[in-house]
Amino acid sequence: MTTGKAPGAGVLVVGYGNRLRTDDGLGWHAIEQLAEDPRVSGADLLWRHQLTPELALDFAQASLVILVDASADVEPGAVAVRLLGPAVPDDRTLMSHHIDPGSLLALAIELYDRAPPVYVVGVGPFSMDDGDRISPALERVMPQVVDAVAEIVANRGRAAHELKDSPEAPGGS
Amino acid sequence: MANRSKVGDGNGRAAGLDGPRPAADALAAQPDADATRAAKARRPAMRKITIDHVSRIEGHATISIMLDDAGQVTDTQFHVTQIRGFEKFTEGRPYYEMPSITSRICGICPVSHLLASSKACDDIMAVRIPETAAKLRELLHCAQFVQSHALSFFYLSAPDLLLGMDSDPAKRNVAGLLAEHPDALRDGIALRKFGQQLIERLARERVHPSWTVPGGVNAPLDPRAREKTLAELPAAIAIVKRTIALWKKTVDSFPNEIESFSNVPTMYCGLVGPDGSLRLYDGNLRFIGPDGAIVADQVKPNDYATYIGEATLSDSYLKAPYYRPVGYPDGVYRVGPLARLNVADRCGTPEADKELAEYRERLGRIVQSGFHYHYARLIEALYALERMQELLDDPAILGTKVRAHAGVNNLQGIGIIEAPRGTLIHHYKVDDNGAMTWANLIVATGHNNLAIGRGILQVAKRFVDGDKIQEGALNRIESVIRCYDPCLSCSTHALGQMALQVQLLGPDGTVMDELAR
Repeated sequence: MTTGKAPGAGVLVVGYGNRLRTDDGLGWHAIEQLAEDPRVSGADLLWRHQLTPELALDFAQASLVILVDASADVEPGAVAVRLLGPAVPDDRTLMSHHIDPGSLLALAIELYDRAPPVYVVGVGPFSMDDGDRISPALERVMPQVVDAVAEIVANRGRAAHELKDSPEAPGGS
Repeated sequence: MANRSKVGDGNGRAAGLDGPRPAADALAAQPDADATRAAKARRPAMRKITIDHVSRIEGHATISIMLDDAGQVTDTQFHVTQIRGFEKFTEGRPYYEMPSITSRICGICPVSHLLASSKACDDIMAVRIPETAAKLRELLHCAQFVQSHALSFFYLSAPDLLLGMDSDPAKRNVAGLLAEHPDALRDGIALRKFGQQLIERLARERVHPSWTVPGGVNAPLDPRAREKTLAELPAAIAIVKRTIALWKKTVDSFPNEIESFSNVPTMYCGLVGPDGSLRLYDGNLRFIGPDGAIVADQVKPNDYATYIGEATLSDSYLKAPYYRPVGYPDGVYRVGPLARLNVADRCGTPEADKELAEYRERLGRIVQSGFHYHYARLIEALYALERMQELLDDPAILGTKVRAHAGVNNLQGIGIIEAPRGTLIHHYKVDDNGAMTWANLIVATGHNNLAIGRGILQVAKRFVDGDKIQEGALNRIESVIRCYDPCLSCSTHALGQMALQVQLLGPDGTVMDELAR
């Protein structure tokens, strides 16, 4: 949870995906590594199997949100960061208890009148096979993933317009 | 529903389970995409309406509606078209792995499987778990009830219930709720978050937690978690009370649905305490008849198979449990919120009992209409919250003796709890080394299978007319299923979201219309 002047105060980081599908579970591994990283100390670090509507409340209470997820639309091993905009809530996912990042942001705006900047750190997976460990190749990329999150936290406020021009990477899991 | 069963062998094991299952033509092609395409190609031209919309139920199902020459509904069939086979592939695993393995059956109610499985393992170990552990497990279970009932009411059913069954399908969704009932949506999100957070606070993980183990739990309650939860409880209780008040003002606007949504006389089953009060975590089984008369009471978990038989259906992977003394198919009984409130003499907590009294005053002592599952679900959510308060107020909840240790002392074990959707039975057999040799899981949606089938027939007769399915009729057919909040993933121990397909069949079996979600 947030405390005092810690660098991560007010920051919510959500790593999500299926921990039993190798690289799809990278969000979980990223959160474990971020928990030990002083550059994000004080941040609220969550891991989830999938995004759910309840996270709209967490979004609304945060000053900055970072989502970490495997993205099949990104080249394997690449780390892509994008600033997310709200989307029209997608009924197909929302009413079935999981939700896409844009809809989640839209819910936070509509229900709680709060719109924190939301970044998606999308990472290209090498494997989505069964297994509770990420692939060795992705293991080597993990420091970049952690650095990307730490950089967003360090540069918050001025990072938004810069990162907007980064390669886009859909954040859906 | 047509009689289409094979009856089990009397030991909770259904006939045909161990070998390839027979399947009706419609289902035989399901696993084989090419065969399915070929079968469709042979059919006469048909209208097919595809609604690009994922249904709000867990699992995959197909409904067939049969018509006579006059175009009137004669029968319906509810096919559940998936299987995973947890009972089979767990054979050979150590019994103490079962809680972790079986909780993977479902991402919605993993806690229920975890608890029923842990109780079955307790039985194998022949231990009585420490008092604190039992209270902590019940606390976890109450949190599971709150989050699951919130999910069912607010996320899955609210678009129909608060916007109307015949409201514009384009607006009968979250956008519609956002526009017309944002407060209810906020309440739903807050309530589910409260339940999920408590699960996480207790068990570290909100989905597939590993805190509950054979013999108890693996860590005592952190006093700070107790304080936090006690501080948050009043707001959660206020949400449920507000929602019950809203529902009491709304429910009477659904006279047709109340009359025709699974409004069929059946038996009911649920756990009760020694005084007949509602029990969710512990207790013995009680069965009542359609008139409310108790036909079996204080049935010990290890005697369940004397009262519950299981039939397998030729066209569905979902088995059909029945009340054995009556036999199949007439021994239809229901479980879940509606059944539990019919079965129990009282809830046992003050606010829930007050609501239960009004519920019974409005609807009668025995409530038959499946539509009232929603109302019953809200009262149970209130009970679960009050029960949390009682458990947290008990100093024993902070005890530090939370786990009993033992080896294999029984070669079989049975664990029964009331999951949010109804009675959940885990029955295991092991060898001397504790390796699983046999498992039988009877899940809430399975218990309700025959009743769901009768409900579908009833609503189809009421709302399907002629050779075409109207969207409103499709929604009502789905809604009658949704009343039971079925988890087809659990009931077949299968994975995925429900894609519902409804087929209208003429007297010669010709597909006259088809709608798919």
